Amino acid sequence: MNGRLLTLWCACCLACPVGAAFPVAGRAEQPAATEAEAFFENQVRPLLAKRCYGCHGAETQEGGLRLDSRQHLLAGTEGRPVVIAGQPDQSRLIAAVRRQGELQMPPDDRLPDAEVDALVAWVKLGLPWPQSDRDPPPALSRAERYEQDRLTHWAYQPVLRPPVPADDAAGWAQTPIDRFVLAELRAEGLTPSEPAERRVLIRRATFDLLGLPPTPDEVEAFVNDSSAEAYERVVDRLLASPRYGERWGRHWLDVARYADTKGYAFAQERRYPYSYTYRDYVIQAWNADLPYDRFLLEQLAADLLPLEPNSPRLAALGFLTVGRKFNNRHDDIDDQIDVVCRGLMGLTVCCARCHDHKYDAIPTEDYYSLYGVFASSQEPGDLPLIGRPEEVAGYEKFKQRLDELQRDLDANRAERHAALLDAARRQVAEYLVRATSARPEGLLEKLPFLSLSRDELKPKLVQRWRDYLRQQFRDDHPLWAPLHVTAGLDDAQFAATAAERLRACLERPEGTGDGQLNPLVKQALGGELPATRAELANRLGALFAATYSQWREAGGNDAAREQLSPASRQLLEVLLAAGSPTDVPLSELDGYVTRAERNKLRELQKKIDAHQVNSGGAPPRAMIVRENSQPHDPRVFIRGNQGRPGDAVPRQFLFVLAGPERQPFTQGSGRLELAQAIASEHNPLTRRVLANRIWMHHFGQPLVTTPSDFGTRSEPPRHAALLDYLAWSLAAGDWSLKALHREILLSSVYRQASLPRPDCEARDPENRLFWRMSPRRLEFEALRDALLAVGDQLDTAVGGRPVELFAPPFSRRRSVYGFIDRQDLPNLLRVFDFASPDQSTAQRPQTTVPQQALFLMNSPEVLQRAKALLARPDVAGLTDDDQRIQRLYQVLYGRPASDEEVSVGREFVRAAGDAPELSSWQQYAQLLLLSNEFVFVD
Amino acid sequence: MKTSFNPDEQDRTAAGPALTRRELLCRSGMGFGALGLAGLLADGGWLPATAQAETGYRNPLAPKPPHFAAKAKRVIHLFMNGGPSHVDTFDPKPELARLAGQDLPRPNLRTERKTGAAFPSPFKFQKYGQSGLEVSELFQHTARHADELAVIRSMQADVPNHEPSLLLMNCGESRLVRPSMGSWVTYGLGTENLNLPGFIAMCPGGYPITETQNWQAAFLPGIYQGTHINTQHTKLDKLVANVRNPHLAPDAQRRQLDTLARLNQLHRDQRAGDEALEARIHSFELAYRMQGEAGEAFDVSREPRHVLDAYGPGVQARQILIARRLIERGVRFVQVWHGAGQPWDNHDDLEQNHRNLAGQCDRAIGALLTDLKRLGLLEETLVIWGGEFGRTPTVELPQAGANAGKINGRDHNHWGFTVWMAGGGVKGGQVYGATDEFGFQAVENPVHVHDLHATILHLLGFDHERLTYRYAGRDFRLTDVHGHVVRELIA
Repeated sequence: MNGRLLTLWCACCLACPVGAAFPVAGRAEQPAATEAEAFFENQVRPLLAKRCYGCHGAETQEGGLRLDSRQHLLAGTEGRPVVIAGQPDQSRLIAAVRRQGELQMPPDDRLPDAEVDALVAWVKLGLPWPQSDRDPPPALSRAERYEQDRLTHWAYQPVLRPPVPADDAAGWAQTPIDRFVLAELRAEGLTPSEPAERRVLIRRATFDLLGLPPTPDEVEAFVNDSSAEAYERVVDRLLASPRYGERWGRHWLDVARYADTKGYAFAQERRYPYSYTYRDYVIQAWNADLPYDRFLLEQLAADLLPLEPNSPRLAALGFLTVGRKFNNRHDDIDDQIDVVCRGLMGLTVCCARCHDHKYDAIPTEDYYSLYGVFASSQEPGDLPLIGRPEEVAGYEKFKQRLDELQRDLDANRAERHAALLDAARRQVAEYLVRATSARPEGLLEKLPFLSLSRDELKPKLVQRWRDYLRQQFRDDHPLWAPLHVTAGLDDAQFAATAAERLRACLERPEGTGDGQLNPLVKQALGGELPATRAELANRLGALFAATYSQWREAGGNDAAREQLSPASRQLLEVLLAAGSPTDVPLSELDGYVTRAERNKLRELQKKIDAHQVNSGGAPPRAMIVRENSQPHDPRVFIRGNQGRPGDAVPRQFLFVLAGPERQPFTQGSGRLELAQAIASEHNPLTRRVLANRIWMHHFGQPLVTTPSDFGTRSEPPRHAALLDYLAWSLAAGDWSLKALHREILLSSVYRQASLPRPDCEARDPENRLFWRMSPRRLEFEALRDALLAVGDQLDTAVGGRPVELFAPPFSRRRSVYGFIDRQDLPNLLRVFDFASPDQSTAQRPQTTVPQQALFLMNSPEVLQRAKALLARPDVAGLTDDDQRIQRLYQVLYGRPASDEEVSVGREFVRAAGDAPELSSWQQYAQLLLLSNEFVFVD
Repeated sequence: MKTSFNPDEQDRTAAGPALTRRELLCRSGMGFGALGLAGLLADGGWLPATAQAETGYRNPLAPKPPHFAAKAKRVIHLFMNGGPSHVDTFDPKPELARLAGQDLPRPNLRTERKTGAAFPSPFKFQKYGQSGLEVSELFQHTARHADELAVIRSMQADVPNHEPSLLLMNCGESRLVRPSMGSWVTYGLGTENLNLPGFIAMCPGGYPITETQNWQAAFLPGIYQGTHINTQHTKLDKLVANVRNPHLAPDAQRRQLDTLARLNQLHRDQRAGDEALEARIHSFELAYRMQGEAGEAFDVSREPRHVLDAYGPGVQARQILIARRLIERGVRFVQVWHGAGQPWDNHDDLEQNHRNLAGQCDRAIGALLTDLKRLGLLEETLVIWGGEFGRTPTVELPQAGANAGKINGRDHNHWGFTVWMAGGGVKGGQVYGATDEFGFQAVENPVHVHDLHATILHLLGFDHERLTYRYAGRDFRLTDVHGHVVRELIA
């Protein structure tokens, strides 16, 4: 792409210009806002006026607190907030009116309960207060506003262990989780559901933790296990299964926007040869219950941790590198910032690429502080081997071919490089004319002594000459003084004044030292002086080219150099010295080749890459990043435009989390320090975000409805205390994810039945209070894996290169091992709501469309599965129709069939008749796979 | 202050069990307030229960009204990928003939490759219709509908390279991953025929450059993504995946689905009121109907002989005819790509290549417009013709690896090019905007791709600033922060 620099500019929240710090109150036109404000006007403002303004109003401000505007209210007193929007339980004001602590308000009379309730509801709503009535537009400076957000927004507050609500006499609540949920249910006059039947429970837990159905034996064993620890044992068995990592690792891969291809890659190999090593790392990490903080550290900075050189843990860095490649470094870094900040902390930092975040306390400076961290590392061409290559079957053969291909590429590069340098040295005159000219390119073409036709000049070489001359230009330089003293003269000025200046140079003593003039230069300028500066440059350049030819003809080696006069040697040195404009490093060759040459190089590189993808003998490598020798000192790009660098910023963490005391990173890129700041127990977002998502996967809905945005516009969690409890227990439990699963699965909340209850549904139709377990539909992976499992066809091999899932013969590996081409995502995955591999995704959308049904009805793959189901020995071996139907129900649904279901089945099998390739029994098996009971988990 | 569009607002329903109405509201830019507030107030007893969120299921593709009444209901986008030359098709430049072989009197604008002297069009132009629109012989059949065409001669894109320009034209953004126009339109309007995909991208032989990104849904739900159809195939099962059961005849499958419905009903009886179950039951009925409908829609052999003759032979004709059949059946957005790769990218042999390419599609485009008129569909169907950019009026100079060195082709040109629209509320018979005297750069009433998008959305009834989707903390739209509706193009 050689297009002009693009200005980035994003449509940030155009639709909602008001309400930055008002997570709930919407715009004035919205009924919601009007209702909220009406509520404030009717219930809250009179109360404040009557009870509070006397001491905390316009006249007096006891304790420095003023309550007659939202602005003042939020400002709090003595630098501490008194309310946190959305969080009554964390608000001192509420504690005061509840008279829960030392501070009790109003001082004399307790408020009526109804008024306390109104205040609580108002805080919960996010403190709606009509715009027109607010104080003059915030007089706060940006820094003050950020500081206020940092101190008041619920998500940024430290995670403290919330008090667990009092015990429940009825004994329903088994765990703290239950007490939090029960308290909310009671507050709304709701009750929890009955415990789910055991058959339902084991099916739920097995799909939940493994993404697979329980076997009929597992179901029966659990149903018949009368011991008190029966359920606990099931949970522990599931958590210890290697299938667990394949299930939960896939949830993580959604967050990591994992795919096996780079995206659009015109002439390059599109597939990543080693992306699978990251996928396998993730699965292993979850299986091993790697502490979550360690899991994060490794994914962000494994290369900077004390690990063995070929440690498989290095593959963790795929988190940073398996994203789409945009063929644009800035966009690649943007992708990394997004996956790290939104993916791990629920912060939409990328909104600040072009300007300060419109709503959150994220200045554009903070974006570029992180930009500097990521720009200081890059993906090396030589990825490290992990494990022992010699143990990989076919390695020798692979290596031999790889070396051949690499030699081809190296030879081609060496040849191109030599030709580039040779041409650059032969054409010094043309480059010097270009580099010293300020004239438009077009006119230059008309100069008679330029012959540009054969080899076009390389703009980058011209630039190298310009940079070089700028460093060399001195009045007393033995080679460059003549060009320097005439710098900046146009043709007319040159004609008028150059002769005098050049003569002054020519009068200097001959020699190669400062203050002297190289005798060859003197000779070239003697006689008739050049008439234009271009001619001057041309004469000097011709001198260089002639010297170069002379040296080449003498052998082009050190001996030939020694034969030259000191004056010639000085000229030659300019062309050959390291760092000279005509000494382009081999590593930068790609910037100097022609289109045809580049195509050839890419073709050779593609062969190497394809060999690594295709050869089974390629040993695994980690897709790492490596620190540059010099860290990048970032500057803000004004409006995101890399052509408009603004102020320099240090590499450092985000203000909103590090606070005013933050210090720039000091170790190299700062990537390890960044990782530590994210994985710190003092980071309130990391744990809340994770706990919210774990909860979401267990219950089908998150506590915070925007699982990747915990900014000021996110809706505060309905169960704030529960969320904090989960987040707190995560760190208290050494960041063990399995411990968190366990605590959730053993709760009574999780063990509830899923059956509908009209009375509860009327009050809480979306089950946000968890009065039952919400039924859930299997995602694509679980559905496909379940189809394999019930036919006893699942291949439980672990890890390795991605497999093609959608072409016959259909693979029997688990779906998580399927090849994911982000550039050409199979239609089937899209139709089944697969997470977009281009953006970090915490929660997939869930749609119901006929294309999903068509796959199940007609695809050859599903028909194969139906046949396999029927071919199971424990099904096919039964000759009695009723028994066979019963067995199918056990295998598929983990329960016996009812009489009616048996008779429906019998009827179908008898009436349907065999199609040539699909017997009536197979048709029946297929329709059972299509049923809602198979894909919905109660 | 603007309120955002929420395509689901009118019917008060949800998109499914996970993408609840609440979420859809939030993501559609309604803000998080509306429902959360109602819920909280209701829970606290301050609002009557009737004000609470209603739940219910509805197919996310179900038709939805736009912001305001509009004529255009559907779109056919004829995509001449690779970049057709405007000075050889819809933007005559006699000045090039005068200067043939000479340098232009001013430096050539910078494009992807170096270009040299003026390269006059080898094709003859002629005036057509009452409007006297000038069109070259390449599109003589299309030109018979001159009075329906609004020819925008002042289009502009950002860079002279295929990849970014394709993404800009299709998704409104050159580099980052953003939803395509077709997916935005389907998200906003749903589709009128639930038995067929709402957004279909036909391309014979494979994918264009940048491939499926051209019709991607990005962060919109995957169901709004374009469904690619490789129209090189003629067999239905190759055209549409899983559209036919390889073993069961329709009546046998019907019996199977009837039994499935009975079992699903027994299951549902114990779980009354769960809309997600109901939705999935319904989806099998839709799927069953889709099998029949899709088979019919893609089977052009059902057309009478004279219609087939009017479209002419070849794959272009077939897929353009399929486009008409799809539109007739209520598909919302149909994109017709000329072919895999970049067929119109004629750096060499422009005369011969452009003649071939136009020869493949011109007649069918003419027939399409005739047909749409005949069927009374043109008024409701917006037809768009164009590429990702145009081509230089100057000849491309030889460069190894870039062209065959024949000095008879043109380079990419994003500075100025032509797109035309017809039907769907477009004011036909007009030329809008102009390039300079050589056709290098738009100089009069420039229309950026963002403006084109804003105008297309307007024709479909949307305020392009209000068709938004909440993602990653902000509201996105097709036109980002750009775009002005070109009122002159609207009837």
